[in-house]
Amino acid sequence: MIVDAILSPEFLNNTLRATTPILFAALASAIASKSGVVNMALEGIMLFAALFGVIFSAAFQSAWLGLLATMVVGGFIGLFLAFAVLKLKTDEILAAIAINLIANGATILILLFVSGDRGISSSINSLTIPMVSLPVIENIPFIGTVLSNQNILTYISLIMVVVVHIFLYKTPLGLQIRAVGENKDAAESVGISPDRIRYISLILSGVLASMGGFFLSGGYMTRFTTGMSAGRGFIALAASAMGGNTPIGSFLVSLLFGAAQAISNILQLGTLPHELVQMLPYLTTLIGLGIYSYSRMKKRQRLMGR
Amino acid sequence: MKRVLSLLLAAVMILSLAACGQTQDQGSASEPYKAALLLNGTLGDKSFFDSAHEGLVKLKEELGEDVFDFKVEQMGATAADEPKWAPTLFDYCETGEYDVIIIGTWQMIEALEEAAQQFPDQKFIFFDETFDFSKGEFNNIYNVLYKQNEVSFLVGAAAAMMTVDERLPMVDPETKSIGFLGGMENPIINDFLVGYIQGAKHVLPDVKVAIGYVGNFYDSAAGKDIALVQYQSGGVDVGYNVAGAAGLGQIEAAADAKRYAFGVDSDQAALLPEQADYIPTSALKNVGNSLIRAIKLDLEGKLAYGTAESLGFAEGGVNLVKDEHYEKMLPEDIRARIDELEQEIIDGKIVVDTALGKTQEEIDAIKASVQ
Repeated sequence: MIVDAILSPEFLNNTLRATTPILFAALASAIASKSGVVNMALEGIMLFAALFGVIFSAAFQSAWLGLLATMVVGGFIGLFLAFAVLKLKTDEILAAIAINLIANGATILILLFVSGDRGISSSINSLTIPMVSLPVIENIPFIGTVLSNQNILTYISLIMVVVVHIFLYKTPLGLQIRAVGENKDAAESVGISPDRIRYISLILSGVLASMGGFFLSGGYMTRFTTGMSAGRGFIALAASAMGGNTPIGSFLVSLLFGAAQAISNILQLGTLPHELVQMLPYLTTLIGLGIYSYSRMKKRQRLMGR
Repeated sequence: MKRVLSLLLAAVMILSLAACGQTQDQGSASEPYKAALLLNGTLGDKSFFDSAHEGLVKLKEELGEDVFDFKVEQMGATAADEPKWAPTLFDYCETGEYDVIIIGTWQMIEALEEAAQQFPDQKFIFFDETFDFSKGEFNNIYNVLYKQNEVSFLVGAAAAMMTVDERLPMVDPETKSIGFLGGMENPIINDFLVGYIQGAKHVLPDVKVAIGYVGNFYDSAAGKDIALVQYQSGGVDVGYNVAGAAGLGQIEAAADAKRYAFGVDSDQAALLPEQADYIPTSALKNVGNSLIRAIKLDLEGKLAYGTAESLGFAEGGVNLVKDEHYEKMLPEDIRARIDELEQEIIDGKIVVDTALGKTQEEIDAIKASVQ
């Protein structure tokens, strides 16, 4: 039963779904890290976005307008983080922790104001981004089941990998972001304002992370429940770090995490102790990080020429 | 700047003096019985925290403010809130203002143990988890438990009858699998599971139960995925979620997969009208009722501190929601059988097994018997 389940297209379909929120946030982390700032507030931004997604989509009675408004909110939180770090010179980690902690309490408070509930947004009539079946592709056996019938946001997240890649490596602004991240002083010496670039990066990072948050309550689930980001922001941070903060690398590692999650879901059908099975995603992270740092060490040794 | 500071300081001191004065005033007034309800979560869970609160509100209305009064403290449920649970409990004990402090859930056991020893004169009501009285002198704790195994027995029996019933639109009568989604493995969740399995086997001896755990009580998206796997790959047609907010994921999964999911702790069919068609009914713990009962007993001086009490169907500690929706969802003969089983439990003809006090091996054996 378990082997069948893992070989089934549903498993890969499940993997893509579990990957989506992590992927958005990992791309968000990649952009911020490329500019030289660690965006550890992803978790909080996702949680806020999951809540505001529900509120906005209900207010506009349009999931897409809701998404757009949520992205604006995400951008503002990114801006707030940038302001705290760049203007007020707060430690970037502390500022991010503050945002994450605020998100925990504030989402409950706002939910209470808007819906009268503290736990779940069921009384808000929110909308979700629909699933689509892809014509032609859906008729291909196996691949059709894997790729078709996903949420539109899942496809958007895959497209975003390419978009962010092109943005970072093929556009002048992307070059400036990487320059600031590699060497701030050198970038400044050729007339780039590092602060301006970092403001832009963190805002973009907030926007991307908020798309992942929106997906949680407006695609993955159809409503907001408190604490629903459930550590995905931190997993994404690890994914982008392991992926060398490149969009493609982040994508591959996010996919790995998504697959680990999906496998652990399936293995629960069997008789293995569930505690062991639940460790799988985290074990994968650990092993992945080990391989990553080992290969970096080897690379450095090679560069040193010995 | 200095002047502003000193002014501020003075203001704070005056205020705090005033605050002191007030508490003393209250102390000398004719005393109602005062309870403090400390929740290691928030109200609005539509579940047993809300139930506890509603019970106290009802009691206050019934007895009047001058006889009974209470305060609710919401300490929050997340990992970030956890560090303040124990200190809050100690703060409340130190005030000495409350006749009884009500707390619940397994996460509070250790803090309660310490507090009860440090403040032997403070009375506590502890709900929803077994307190280990053998660890010392705990004559100031009344422990109320709910026979979730009894109500889960009925859910399991209903689920097993449903999974082979070809009249129901969303089951595959060929498969004999039912599902269970727990938050994490702990004695209470196991108690739900043990009752569920026994009930299912009672009506369908060769039933299979797919058991999944989310790993926490808040990741609803992960709960949805695990439940979807059970429905899509495990041949499960009827599930039962005991995973707090994460369990809502199972209900969404049921709606996606066009299957059934039983609710828990609150009337989830009423709570989630869009998905009500997939929720036959919900299993409830009447925390509110049990607190009303306990405090009334305490007012008469009859509450048995230092002991634990389990409330089942007979005492109104648990029940299955049986409203119009339930009647619409389930055929009459299944409902009649459920009523019969409930009566047999009350009469003691059926003794529902419990996970409380069982070793891990015994529980694993029960789980293995339905794989």
